[in-house]
Amino acid sequence: MNFSVEDGVLTSVTGNPQHPITRGGLCVKLKDFAKHHYNPDRILYPQRRVGPKGSGQYERISWEEALQEISSKWNSIIDDYGSQAILNCCYLGNQGVINGLTSGDAFFNRLGATVSEKTFCASGSSTGYVMTIGPTGGVDPESFLYSKLIVIWGQNTMSTNLHQWPIYQEARAKGAKIVVIDPQRTRTAKEADVHIRLKPGTDAAFALGVMYVLITENLVDQDYIDKYTHGYEELKNRVINDYGVDRVAEITGLTVQEIQNFAREYATTQPCVIRMGVAPERNRNGGQSIRAICSLPALVGAWRHVGGGLLEMPLWEFPLKYEEMCRPDFIKPGTRVANITQLGKVLEEFQYPQIKSLFVNNSNPVSQAGYSSKLESQLKKEDLFLVVSEHFITDTAKYADVLLPATMQAEQLEVMLAWGHFYLTYNEKAIEPPGECVSNSELFRRLAKAMGFNDSYWDRTDYEMLDDFIDWSSPRLEGWNMERLREVGYVSLAGATPDKRLPHAEGNFPTPTGKCEFLTTQADKGNFVVPVWRSMYEGMQTGEPIDPLPEWLPMRESPTSNPELAKKYPLNIVTPKAHAFLNSQYANEKNQQQRQGEQTVTIHPQDAEARGIVAGQLVRVFNDRGSFKGKAKLSDDTLPGLVVAILGYWHEHNHGSSVNSISSNEFSNLGHAPSFSDNLVQVELAV
Amino acid sequence: MTTVVTDNCLKCKFTECVSSCPVSAFRAGEDMLFIDPDVCIDCGACISKCPVKAIYEDLDLPDEMTHWVDINANESKKWPKITLKQLPFEGANDRKVALGF
Repeated sequence: MNFSVEDGVLTSVTGNPQHPITRGGLCVKLKDFAKHHYNPDRILYPQRRVGPKGSGQYERISWEEALQEISSKWNSIIDDYGSQAILNCCYLGNQGVINGLTSGDAFFNRLGATVSEKTFCASGSSTGYVMTIGPTGGVDPESFLYSKLIVIWGQNTMSTNLHQWPIYQEARAKGAKIVVIDPQRTRTAKEADVHIRLKPGTDAAFALGVMYVLITENLVDQDYIDKYTHGYEELKNRVINDYGVDRVAEITGLTVQEIQNFAREYATTQPCVIRMGVAPERNRNGGQSIRAICSLPALVGAWRHVGGGLLEMPLWEFPLKYEEMCRPDFIKPGTRVANITQLGKVLEEFQYPQIKSLFVNNSNPVSQAGYSSKLESQLKKEDLFLVVSEHFITDTAKYADVLLPATMQAEQLEVMLAWGHFYLTYNEKAIEPPGECVSNSELFRRLAKAMGFNDSYWDRTDYEMLDDFIDWSSPRLEGWNMERLREVGYVSLAGATPDKRLPHAEGNFPTPTGKCEFLTTQADKGNFVVPVWRSMYEGMQTGEPIDPLPEWLPMRESPTSNPELAKKYPLNIVTPKAHAFLNSQYANEKNQQQRQGEQTVTIHPQDAEARGIVAGQLVRVFNDRGSFKGKAKLSDDTLPGLVVAILGYWHEHNHGSSVNSISSNEFSNLGHAPSFSDNLVQVELAV
Repeated sequence: MTTVVTDNCLKCKFTECVSSCPVSAFRAGEDMLFIDPDVCIDCGACISKCPVKAIYEDLDLPDEMTHWVDINANESKKWPKITLKQLPFEGANDRKVALGF
């Protein structure tokens, strides 16, 4: 991004025209990003609650008073209940090396807090992916230019991965075909050559059915399988015995021909590449869906070709010293773990000690965690000391006892990771923070001092921390250092140019066997969350038994798998990401609200008719967990039996609730990913 | 929500905008370009590219120009996709000066 500053004021934020990914354009979410920094509702000073919890009544206090209040409260909680009565809830509201996911890990580990497991997004994928092909970046997004078949699996690229779309267009101009696999007819699906509309939660069954066709029609690359994969015979038996194409057609709602056609085209159109989104992980069987999808490229030898294989997690290309960032060595063995996607449940059920203080930064769990109605009732408890570091008084922050003012991106130095490309990017601080806002790095420096921590960890400047946390000895960064990164702005971590990069043409998978593991060799330790999502803590993994081969299990909540529940709540629901918001960020901006439009509930015309619902009417979506309202939109862009409502609307702008009020806080079968797309609801006219 | 081309494009057609569109939403009318609102994703990448400031996001449109929303919606359905920059009309530079840019 290019920040333009005049007289100390940020006047515009644009893409860098020279950058190979943004090509000068930012996504819709960052329109008016400069103005966002000057939103009059920003929290500019520390504040203390003066009204009842949730009333939003605060008085300004100094940083000194805020730190004094927090440290004295924490010290007394530690004396009375032990340090594990304190919990951090942090996610990726800021992304980056020192202000992002792991920004508070070292501090809370040093404090002895309950370790926070942060699995909102891509943790199920991480576990499934790592168990199958290992922590590899996979196909460079820029190598898609050389692909002939691009399979977008569970992602609405034009809304959530916009910068990839021009690359697809270029590939298409050279003859590539685009297939979208998604229950919804999204704006991306509308632009595809082929749209495969499977029922939600059936991705694994579809992938296994595709394997059945590949195997029975001898479309596999046996040489690649023999040399570079592990457990093919076991997978083959599973597929032949359990995933015949007729059964898979019945499960997925697709025709046998659709499955066969896709499989044949996938095997014979090389290079073929899969761009996997996060959606397939968001149901009970999510982790195994990822395992099944990650297995496909090796079966057809797609990895042999430039632009062939799979992409989901560029994260694994970024050479960072996570151990030094998170300091898991501070954690006392046996320290317990709390999964913050289940925050309401954690606050309600954890005992000995109960959670007595919650510190929220980089996140808005009332909007983003499952079963938010339960979470809200817990946040109202008088004996929970809640501190929130935020830009605005969000649906979570309004329950805070102490509010701390946080910086935005132009106000802080940072080095950025990416989810959609392989560039490590320097983010220069462009303007002074307004009021008394501080970056997360500075926030934890101040808290460390207030708690009397003398460790040198918090004696460093931001620049020094970044320099220490980036692994400059990585071959990918040969010849680079902080100074050069600062000067140039970004560096590719791909290791080869997009026309040459072949990460797994000869196996070389970072798994225990070095092969693509259809049959995982990691099953003996049971289910686990990849350590980066839990402060690099290796202890207290839950280790539930896992199937060592990819499998399909029906959803926890669906009319076929749970007919009792479906009598009351007959409709499944999915809650995709918005076009103009980034989760709940920017959803308080008037222009973004206009661009996104109000909360709608898309319902198939036949489901609407059965309920006497007419387009444009306000409807209520509900189950035993909660409810929210939205305007009915009748469209066959959704399937019969499935309603769609976008995530991210703030309660105050949305009839007092939003989509996660109805979602469960159950996990997918791998990596503790939340099952946001595995919920049944009923829809009725709102009164 | 969409982005629209307005009358400053008439007789100019500099087409600087078209290659900036990540979703190929521009359509080449006879005298000017149009944006198909069903394709436009409202990212705004094109707006700053126009040398005669003919492109607006609909929520920024001056009142006297709001009719261009419908014109773009209708006309864009009649004309072919344009994704590569072409030569502007003859006299486009004079017109640019006349428009004050």
